[in-house]
Amino acid sequence: MLKKIALAAGLFSATALASNAVQADVKVGLLGGISGPIAAMAPPMLDSAKLAIQQVNEQGGILGGQKLEAVVGDSACNPQNGVDSATKLVNIEQVAGLIGPHCSGSVLAVANSVTVPAGITLITPSGTSPEITGLEDKGQVFRTVPSDDFQGRSLARTLLNLGTKKVAVAYLNNDYGSGLANAFKVEFEANGGEIAGYSAHEEGKASYRSNLAELSRGGADTLVIFDYGDGTGLTILRQALENGFFTNFVGGDGMKSDAIIRELGAENLTTFIASSPVGEKSNSLELFNEAYKSVGGNPDAIFVSNSYDAAFLMALALEKAGGEAAKVSEAMAAVSNGQGEAVLPGEWKKAVELIAAGKDIDYKGASGDLNFDNAGDVPGSYGLFKVEGDAFALQQALN
Amino acid sequence: MPFMEFVNFYLMPGIVLGSIYALGAVGITLVFGILRFAHLAHGDLATLGAFAALGVVTIFGVSPWVALPVAMVVCAFMAIGIDKLFYDYLSERPKIIVVMSSLGIALMLRAVVQVVWGVDTETYTRGIVRPDDYWGIRIRDREIYTIIAMFVIVGVLWAFLQKTKWGKAMRAMSDNPDLALLSGVDNRKITMLTWGIVGILCAASGFFLGINTELKPLMGWTMLLPMFAAAILGGVGRVEGAVIGGLIVGIAEETSVLFIPGEYKAAMAFAILLLILLVRPTGLLKGKVL
Repeated sequence: MLKKIALAAGLFSATALASNAVQADVKVGLLGGISGPIAAMAPPMLDSAKLAIQQVNEQGGILGGQKLEAVVGDSACNPQNGVDSATKLVNIEQVAGLIGPHCSGSVLAVANSVTVPAGITLITPSGTSPEITGLEDKGQVFRTVPSDDFQGRSLARTLLNLGTKKVAVAYLNNDYGSGLANAFKVEFEANGGEIAGYSAHEEGKASYRSNLAELSRGGADTLVIFDYGDGTGLTILRQALENGFFTNFVGGDGMKSDAIIRELGAENLTTFIASSPVGEKSNSLELFNEAYKSVGGNPDAIFVSNSYDAAFLMALALEKAGGEAAKVSEAMAAVSNGQGEAVLPGEWKKAVELIAAGKDIDYKGASGDLNFDNAGDVPGSYGLFKVEGDAFALQQALN
Repeated sequence: MPFMEFVNFYLMPGIVLGSIYALGAVGITLVFGILRFAHLAHGDLATLGAFAALGVVTIFGVSPWVALPVAMVVCAFMAIGIDKLFYDYLSERPKIIVVMSSLGIALMLRAVVQVVWGVDTETYTRGIVRPDDYWGIRIRDREIYTIIAMFVIVGVLWAFLQKTKWGKAMRAMSDNPDLALLSGVDNRKITMLTWGIVGILCAASGFFLGINTELKPLMGWTMLLPMFAAAILGGVGRVEGAVIGGLIVGIAEETSVLFIPGEYKAAMAFAILLLILLVRPTGLLKGKVL
């Protein structure tokens, strides 16, 4: 008798567990470079992604009223930590999809060794390396930020138009730095510019003065830095300014960090400009800006709109895929391919109703229309920023 | 290339960097020599020292130079505390276990820094400092102070080890702990004294690294390899050897850019370490072979 009771109790608790599992929250991974060389950029990006998730929960939740939960992980902006955190998110937290990681090196490593083998879809808001385009990912890697192939080229053309014909390039020796530097170099030279110095550097050294001295020997007075503004990029810029190796400085999106203004002082950065992706003026961007301001965010911070879009798209794809991880990648491509009824940032309820009615939807993101191509890439536009007051201000658009 | 350019952009940065490495390497060599294990938490203890000084600067608004002694005291007590809590407990176990536990301590110290001071890059003073010109040599005040401070700190330590009773006891324990014990040297007290000195040296190396560049939670960890290379190059257990080793590694790293591509600069310390272990495992000055 006792045995039977025990068995019944066991069965009962087993079913209770099973039904709990069905009722449980839908988890997505939110993987960012919280520590490491983009530490100052990451918090606003995570906040804007959380805004998207908050909106989903406020407007009725996901997959028939379940709560969408973001589990945050730290990729430290490097491949090792990225893989560690992603493995934990995928295997232990059992996330249905991954938003992030933030840095190109982490994206490549996480996709290759964690998410693609596990069949989980990944969408990064800021992994910009051209390498990501060619990843063998079975269509499971997306991004809401254009490839640096575009950024490097348009920055090269813009500099030439501004009359800068001779530059030296210092880039961080990782997937982000080398990808961007290479795209820049090819276009700059093809259009008649001269690269008077071109050299990679490793992260984490205390002095780069000899590297800078080597670069300046080519005779260029403009230094292009493709690095992170919280990491070695700051050290290099400081040492170049202090020693007068160059007079003008140009950075990529990684250098558009508040840490640079905070630590070096705006008065020393009058000759510093940085390119970064910008959202085109649109209703979507307005909607996002309002919503983000209302939760205390600064919509001008870098990659916040991309990050919001990545989170919102992940939610849309999960809803459309019915929560099945294997179908998320297909759904992701379908919810933003330029066809169907437009869904704007924050219009979660409308999207859910359209999906339930079996209609096609097309997400118009805050950072652009985000129509994915076959490689999961999006086109985009860039702006050139200068330091004004204590913040970055748009100087001109890049062509 | 003009000679002055070599001095200004390759040699001087190398000497400044070498001085920072030297301060770290002296600490490593003391632990190596007296306590006989590779202390992997050395870099992160230096990070803690640098951030402790930052804490004093931000709370009291004083000059970083005033904060340095405070950071030294904090780090000295931290090092003694870590020894009491962890290393002492493991002291009878195989040394490799102590080495591995020091790796764990490194992670814990880094986590403390990240929890207390956050993960952002910080500096002691905002803005940039352009170098002054001394008969063609371009150098900043803080760089002169770094080099002078290194020689003063190491000089005092050297005199302490040579002339005082406690210094002699430390050297005796380094030579043979059992024999030292039999001669009446209190090993426990010497171990604590060693950790106190190591803490002070860690704080100094972290502080000078921070004042010459920026403060990052990983700053000490990335310095660990060059510091170990410097300690082994100079001869394990030899204080003056660690200084020579530090300066050689620093200058070699900076001038390596003349011969090899910049991205391989970081490999310089590693190459020196390999070479010295192959050719002369006792180091330049005859040190211990581990």
